Amino acid sequence: MNSDTRLLELEDLRKWFEIRRGFLSSRVNYVKAVDGVTFSLEEGKAVSLVGESGSGKTTLGKTILRLYEPNGGRILFQGKDITHTKVKDLKWYRRMASLVQQDPFGAFASHFTVFRALEEPLLIHNTVKSREERAERVFKALEEVRLTPVEDFAYKYPHMLSGGQLQRVAIARAIILEPRLIVADEPVSMLDASVRIEILTLLRRLQERLRLGVIYITHDLATTRFFSESALIMYAGHVMEKASTREVLRNPLHPYTKALLIATPDPNPQNRSRFKEVPPGEPPALVDPPKNCRFSPRCPRAFDKCFKEEPPEFEAAPGHWVKCWLYERS
Amino acid sequence: MGRLKMSSSKRVGGLKGVLHEVLSYKSAVIGVAILLFLIVLSVYTMVTIPLPEAIQAWRSSEAWSRNPRNAQPEWVEIFYGKKLPRTIIVPLKDADATKVLLEDGRLAASWTVYFNYEYDDFPSEIVMFFNSSYSEKPAVEFYWIRPDGEEVFLKKHVLRRPDDRLYLSNDLSLELRLEGLFENKVGGKPSFMVTVEKGLFAEYSLDPRVLKGRYGIRFETTLEKNDVLNAEVVIYGSVYGLAGTDHLRRPLLIGLLWGTPIAMSFGLTSAILTTVLSLIIGTISGWYGGKIDLVIQRIVEINAVLPFLPILIMLTTFYRIDLLIILLSVVVLSIFSLGIKGTRILVMQIKSYPYIEAAQAYGASNMRLILFYVIPKILPPVVPGMISSVPGFVFLEAGLSYLGLGDPFLPTWGKIINDAQTNGAFYKGMYYWVLEPAFMLILTSIAFALIGMALEKIVNPKLKEL
Repeated sequence: MNSDTRLLELEDLRKWFEIRRGFLSSRVNYVKAVDGVTFSLEEGKAVSLVGESGSGKTTLGKTILRLYEPNGGRILFQGKDITHTKVKDLKWYRRMASLVQQDPFGAFASHFTVFRALEEPLLIHNTVKSREERAERVFKALEEVRLTPVEDFAYKYPHMLSGGQLQRVAIARAIILEPRLIVADEPVSMLDASVRIEILTLLRRLQERLRLGVIYITHDLATTRFFSESALIMYAGHVMEKASTREVLRNPLHPYTKALLIATPDPNPQNRSRFKEVPPGEPPALVDPPKNCRFSPRCPRAFDKCFKEEPPEFEAAPGHWVKCWLYERS
Repeated sequence: MGRLKMSSSKRVGGLKGVLHEVLSYKSAVIGVAILLFLIVLSVYTMVTIPLPEAIQAWRSSEAWSRNPRNAQPEWVEIFYGKKLPRTIIVPLKDADATKVLLEDGRLAASWTVYFNYEYDDFPSEIVMFFNSSYSEKPAVEFYWIRPDGEEVFLKKHVLRRPDDRLYLSNDLSLELRLEGLFENKVGGKPSFMVTVEKGLFAEYSLDPRVLKGRYGIRFETTLEKNDVLNAEVVIYGSVYGLAGTDHLRRPLLIGLLWGTPIAMSFGLTSAILTTVLSLIIGTISGWYGGKIDLVIQRIVEINAVLPFLPILIMLTTFYRIDLLIILLSVVVLSIFSLGIKGTRILVMQIKSYPYIEAAQAYGASNMRLILFYVIPKILPPVVPGMISSVPGFVFLEAGLSYLGLGDPFLPTWGKIINDAQTNGAFYKGMYYWVLEPAFMLILTSIAFALIGMALEKIVNPKLKEL
């Protein structure tokens, strides 16, 4: 991997949330939502962050955007350390990295027109001075996301648009500052099945054409193949497996990944009565979790070591990392 | 689709659109009309009677000496069905006197002045104001000429000072003489008490009836050569102007007129300041949380148990204060209202909305988020409340003035009611004294209440169904 093309590097990134019990109590517990994530993303590449609810994937996304300040580890963006940069000194980073949220209906202030909503980032960063130029940028962004004729959409209020249209506006807002990185946090999970693929195609095309780095957060393994070059499987704040998307889907190694794949709906009717072996139980509570493999209570293949020690990441195949004792090279 | 169109055109209209929508409610039209009337009245007052002049006049008793005391407004005639007396001022000018040179070098001077009296009721008071210069105090004799030509000797009076005043109504010996004269003429005791006014203006009959016609007053005196004697005989009526007068002969109209801008500015300023500052404090509390929130919330809770009025009374008792200080005290005591809790919760809710997070992701500052993203969201329900809170502050100011704790210089509605109360207005049947300022207070509160209610319906359409 050439270091010049590295867009984003995470080293052992941790985000723990404090919970205080009682008014004066000094005892502090931590919810370890993201607990030691390491990966890097190249310019113009997309990575999928897959996991179930509570796995910490959204927290990771927000930490990458520095909406949260990490408790440990490092975030390097284009080689610059932004782990603990003060919010007021992060303005340049806000231009370089943007967010597409899950809920398109909540993503816009109801008192702003589409035009104003798209103009806001330009106003804040003051990149475009004149009103005419701003309007040009807004219309161009709307064209990019295929909301045409742009005049029909620019002066509408969010409540007048459908979920799919709003998500397009959200994508337009995410690209309007010409960023290098987009964190797309379950961008299609709240949309109608009929428009999901359109939005994903749009996002993928934009990503390829503008050479954007995209972190695609999803719980839906099925869409990752279509969307990303590599995939990260998260469970309870840990990355369990990371490899190219193709590799993860064809040759899953971690028991959790396997379970996820099994749980994916199978369109073949002949398999309708086949029993799907899904691990019982739920993800663990993340308040001060024990130091072992976090999947061990549910893992069908767990053995003694799994309950005692947290596994490191093993490179089971070239470029294929698994956090599981099963792949320890003896 | 039609609905979408409608709401879009409504939004685009902005302030004009809001006004248009407000005026689609009949009640609001009335409210706006009353409000406009009050505004026009305030502007008219401020232009025609400048404040320093108004205060000066309101506080001086001399300016109103030619006005009747406790006179009702003129329009009460409608209810009585008869013509009530206005004040008549009969001037006796030195230049009009017929002067005859006497042997000892002095002048014998005499005046006769006539005036018409065509009212259905007796005057309330008769006072002679002198304005003279003399070397030796002149003695003046007064004669009363009735419409039938009969001449009655009233009194001989030696001027006590150049600007002497003679209160005829209080002259007991005159009253007794007039009563005797009356009994002689009628041949019996009349059914009414013969006061000076009645003795002078009544027909000779057993019942009190006004003798209408042309009356005359004659002065006779002896003056030194260079002496000058001017006088005004003021025959006070029992009605005055649009609003009547009070116990100090002041026209209530001035107080009522000046009360309007004072009440409006006090009410509006305190309502706007209180609402806006509360909103900002509540927003800061909800937005920043942590220690700031803790401190603000404790202040609110302490403020909630502090008695508002007693503190205000204490302030106004201990310090010499004017309207501005009262206003500031009211605002300071009101901004940490419990309403802050509501704002805070709304802000905390809004803070967790995805669009705030999105805005943080594209770099919006806290200031920008509060001003453009949070406040516009919580403002709509606040505006009707603000308008509706105006009457409360107007009443508060009136209440303080009524308690004698208002600005001591300004004529306000509350102070008029206070005067009426201390002078037993209701007990003496002077209803106008209380009802006029009360009417103005109610008018103001109705205007704001109607507008506030209409705005409330626009902001919260569910109320339309009620």
